[in-house]
Amino acid sequence: MNELDVVLASRVRLARNYEDLPFDLGEKPDSAAMCVARTVQALRLEENAPAYDLVRLRELTPLQRQSLAESRRISRDLMSHAAAAAVLLREEEALSIMMNEEDHLRIQAVSQGLNLGEAAEKCFRAEDSLSRHVTFAFDDQLGYLTACPTNTGTGMRASLLMHLPMLTLCKQMGNVGQIVAKVGLTIHGVYGEGSEALGNLYQVSNQVTLGRTEQELISAVTAVGHQLIDMERTLRDKALANGRVTLEDSVYRAWGLMNHARLMPKKEFFAHWSNLRLGAAVKLLSVPLERVDALLTDCQDAHLCAWEEAALEGAALDQARAKRARMMLAG
Amino acid sequence: MLCEECKVNEASYTISVMVGGEITSRHLCGDCMAKMNMDIASGNIKSLLSTILSAITGDTAPVSAGQEVVCPRCHMTLGEFTRTGHLGCPKCYEAFREQLQPMLLQIHGRVQHAGRRPLSTAEDQRKRTAAETLQRQMEQAVALEDFETAAQLRDQLRALSAGGEGKA
Ligand SMILES: [Zn+2]
Ligand SMILES: [Zn+2]
Repeated sequence: MNELDVVLASRVRLARNYEDLPFDLGEKPDSAAMCVARTVQALRLEENAPAYDLVRLRELTPLQRQSLAESRRISRDLMSHAAAAAVLLREEEALSIMMNEEDHLRIQAVSQGLNLGEAAEKCFRAEDSLSRHVTFAFDDQLGYLTACPTNTGTGMRASLLMHLPMLTLCKQMGNVGQIVAKVGLTIHGVYGEGSEALGNLYQVSNQVTLGRTEQELISAVTAVGHQLIDMERTLRDKALANGRVTLEDSVYRAWGLMNHARLMPKKEFFAHWSNLRLGAAVKLLSVPLERVDALLTDCQDAHLCAWEEAALEGAALDQARAKRARMMLAG
Repeated sequence: MLCEECKVNEASYTISVMVGGEITSRHLCGDCMAKMNMDIASGNIKSLLSTILSAITGDTAPVSAGQEVVCPRCHMTLGEFTRTGHLGCPKCYEAFREQLQPMLLQIHGRVQHAGRRPLSTAEDQRKRTAAETLQRQMEQAVALEDFETAAQLRDQLRALSAGGEGKA
């Protein structure tokens, strides 16, 4: 269900700002502290409010910060604002309220598979809890006011984390980019430099935020998501029907390497991971998709360091990655 | 016609902006257009900003210091905003409204907000709290596989939102 064979996760993010504070609080410690205190206080005033963990980034080691980013609990941008930044985490709901990033607040929630509606509901509930006690910058014409005009209006970014190995292999990503752009969305690789898309993982999200309701934006991203799912599945079926041996070969090679390699550099990991996930999605492999997806997070640098309880680098990191992958796949 | 950005390639795109009821146009080549769209997608709107501002001011130098627009609260100037692409405070939206309108239109294609609004009245708040409670009860009912109750709660929820929570 939830199109897990192609969509790993849905994420919704709302940008909100306090009416009376300046933007960009990195250089303004007093206002930044006010932003955190006010947010925490507002949630405390809420009756039967759910419990949040408050984490100040400056109290974490760089590796701990990176680990939060690898788990997609905070944005990479929040790390670059570490001096003033903080986050309220609610692990059960995969909900984070980031403070003092580009905007005062970035409320973000993640749901498994294709389920933007659920992720949005989680954000809205958190926003409502806050807005009963504080005033956000809002303009009747322009909607929610944000530090950058690209987020003005709903302040909402709805995105899907998609695995598109066959569309990439068949050189269809150019066409996909055009389809996506035509309806006001964007697509880009999640891991890697520049236009790279390591692991064939892509993020599809809305580009415009003003003049459409949250529901309209979610519907647009979901509709394009379904279109890409259909395209990807068609190619997968074709490969199974016409080029089965080729597909099996790349899947089982990846399985063999992930289960036996002793050194696993990051780029190689992503390539095998992609084939592994494809194999699991088309049921060539019996390993559950959840486990393959957990591998994606747990085999990243900061997670490996935490697991080995050491600040690993270079070959030591590649060794830990190979070991972790072997253990996780063994179950 | 040559691209007005790089002044090298032939222009094949036209960006039109409304300024005070008049349409001003700017002509770009495919490369410059693509670069600008990439910039917008990655949140960097500086190039779009300068493109639009030069369309407004007619390709001349920025507004002279004497008539510089300044935000009364955070004292950011229009020039600073153009350089960084980021506003200084929420009040800047009022101070630079005239310059922001064509830019927002270019980015989003629309300039009238639709969607959620802050809870302004006690009635709004009461409704939203009631909806949340129903939602929670419904999730609980589903978890307990009490689908009859869940269906009843879902109908109540629908009735509540049909009662006028706005477009959201
Ligand atoms: Zn050009
Ligand atoms: Zn200002």
